[in-house]
Amino acid sequence: MSPELEQTLQTLTSHRSVLGYMLITRGQQPSIIRHSGVVFEGEQGKRYASVVARIIESVQTGLEEIRGDDGLSAAAGESDADDIRFMRIRTRRHEIMISPDDRYLLAVLHDPAT
Amino acid sequence: MSEKRRKEIEEKRAKLAELRKARAIRNQEPPDRRWAIPETKKDFEDFVDKIVGPSKGGVDSEDFTPSSSMPGTPGRGPSATLPTRSSDSGRGSRQSDIPERLSFGGPVTVGSGTDHVIDRPLTPRGYPDLVTFEQELFELPQKERVVYNKEIQTTLVETEPSQDYEEEVRQRIFREKDAEAEKLAREKELEDISVKLDQEIEREIRDLTEEERASIVGAPEFLEFVEQSSKIVQRALNDGYDYIRDYRIGTESGGDDSEGKRVKRVCEFWDERYVKNRSITDIDWSPKYPELSVASYNKNPAALNEPDGIVAVWNLHLLERPEFVFHSQSDVLSVTFSPFHSNLVFGGTYSGQILLWDTRAKHLPVLKTPLSASGHTHPVYAMQMVGTQNAHNLITSSTDGTVCSWLVDMLAQPQETLELIHHGHNKTGEVAITTLDFPDNETTTFWVGTEEGNLYQANRYDRAGAKAGLNQYDVYKGHSGPVMGLHFHPLVGPVDFSDLFLTCSVDWTVKLWRAKSLAKPSTTPHALPPLYSFDEADDYVYDVKWHPSQPAVFGTVDGSGRFDLWNLNTDTEVPVVSTPVGSGRAINKLEWDRKEGRRAALGGSDGRLYIYDIGDMAIPRESEWTDMQKTISSMMGGGQTNGV
Repeated sequence: MSPELEQTLQTLTSHRSVLGYMLITRGQQPSIIRHSGVVFEGEQGKRYASVVARIIESVQTGLEEIRGDDGLSAAAGESDADDIRFMRIRTRRHEIMISPDDRYLLAVLHDPAT
Repeated sequence: MSEKRRKEIEEKRAKLAELRKARAIRNQEPPDRRWAIPETKKDFEDFVDKIVGPSKGGVDSEDFTPSSSMPGTPGRGPSATLPTRSSDSGRGSRQSDIPERLSFGGPVTVGSGTDHVIDRPLTPRGYPDLVTFEQELFELPQKERVVYNKEIQTTLVETEPSQDYEEEVRQRIFREKDAEAEKLAREKELEDISVKLDQEIEREIRDLTEEERASIVGAPEFLEFVEQSSKIVQRALNDGYDYIRDYRIGTESGGDDSEGKRVKRVCEFWDERYVKNRSITDIDWSPKYPELSVASYNKNPAALNEPDGIVAVWNLHLLERPEFVFHSQSDVLSVTFSPFHSNLVFGGTYSGQILLWDTRAKHLPVLKTPLSASGHTHPVYAMQMVGTQNAHNLITSSTDGTVCSWLVDMLAQPQETLELIHHGHNKTGEVAITTLDFPDNETTTFWVGTEEGNLYQANRYDRAGAKAGLNQYDVYKGHSGPVMGLHFHPLVGPVDFSDLFLTCSVDWTVKLWRAKSLAKPSTTPHALPPLYSFDEADDYVYDVKWHPSQPAVFGTVDGSGRFDLWNLNTDTEVPVVSTPVGSGRAINKLEWDRKEGRRAALGGSDGRLYIYDIGDMAIPRESEWTDMQKTISSMMGGGQTNGV
């Protein structure tokens, strides 16, 4: 792991309200690349990972559905294609921020009250 | 087949029996007729014996043919001769009789016995009487007898019709139904479970092997992804507003500070990784994105392998780290965003090089001026972009008096070089420029502040009545130390104050000047005094800047870490608000944000960039301008009350 990467992730976790982060691969079999924080340890971490991956996939499918298959030309479809850029899920207790990419996912859990 | 044959044979037997009977009757009636036969009979008997011999061995009942066959064919065997119904005499019938018996093998001896019996009465006879004997023979085609094999496919069920049995049956049926239902239910359950397990397996978070992890982590796109997404997440984290907040639940008692004359600190930009041990040398706000500001830093004396000069672009929404970081090989002393290209950042360095960075590119400058005599060879402390979108230049000045004008895309050599030489100076011709400023709307004439403390006006080109270069006759004398800051009044609002400018210097003072009109250039050197002098400060005043929208407001920063906000309409002797900033270390630079001037960026010598908000004081009232006019005239009219 390059030091810049370490540093970046370190600054992320050192924020006062951040409880943990998780880096996941997208695709058929999501897998955890890296995680930190008590919240994402072990079994719970795996559950979080699978849930987050599923949420992103379903939202992505939803976006594609919205775009619709009107039978328009494929070229037009490509340029309109909407991808998820950022997702913030605010629950009563926490907030999960998910920043997806083509291949990876960064999920950060923080408590906005602090 | 064999049965068929057997039946045929039995039929024939029956017929033969009849025929024998008939023969027997006939034999008794015309015995003499029979006498002719013996000769042939003997032959026949020999023949028969011959046949009988071999026939005992190979009787084959399978070879019966219903058709008539020649009795005298020995090769065909006995079976062939069986069904003969010749119209011959008894010999034929006898022949048929015997072969029939012969073919069965069994009753041969009987047949031969009877033959012998028949033969004995026949042999004593003499002359046989031949009688034609006709018998109709009917050839009946064999009936095809179709045989079926009947079988029952169901197993035999015991039929015990009784009440108990019915009950039993019913119960059995129920039980079977239940069993089936159970089975089905179990199967379904199993299926469900297996489907669920499949799904879970699909979803199951796979553990990465070490190599996979290493390969993913090593990929450059992964690094970029982490940088980008962590930036976004941090910006979102910084947004402190809790948007699901319910205002009905009042928890904290709001300690509202009295608004009005207050200067509030918004944030402080500092990053240990990049900016540790460095001081800010210059600040600028982005013309395009009001939340972005840029700060240039000098060298970190502790870390010698880090780049000497750093330029960091900060985002108000991302406090923990700079948006962009640019490197330079020597200390960067001045920095400015390009007003015409939102991605470009210019920097002037200690070595005299002018560097151009692009936010789309990486750390290193995309363009550099050469370190040659055609450019600057001394530290570039001041630079400014002048012109319009289509025709703009970067004007830079260094401490050896060289002022260069550059075209943005051609940094290989300056478009024009101007050497400011002060001929009338008693010691040296060189003018050590520390600051430079253009009045608003002017692109060809500018004012410079020097290390001596004097200010001069200079022209870029020859104009009517004035030559290019320093105007050595109009000396703005006032300061007793190097001039640290020079700022012309911005041209905004109904009244034009753009000939007023402020300077600040190491001599603890801030002075207000009126620029002499260029219409009448002087021919003899004379000193121009300042309009007013502000002596509030206790330390070197490092920077002074007019407020962009308020005509009478300006700010100053000094070496004791104070940020003073002055409003000339309110009070000309003391600042309206004086705020200590940071830890008491000197503040090097001050820059108001371009939009409305609500915020001021203060660059400290500890490397921290402070952003302060002055709130409502930034909003000018209608009367500000006229008030300012009055103030200025009173300053001028009041003479030298505050002294030079």
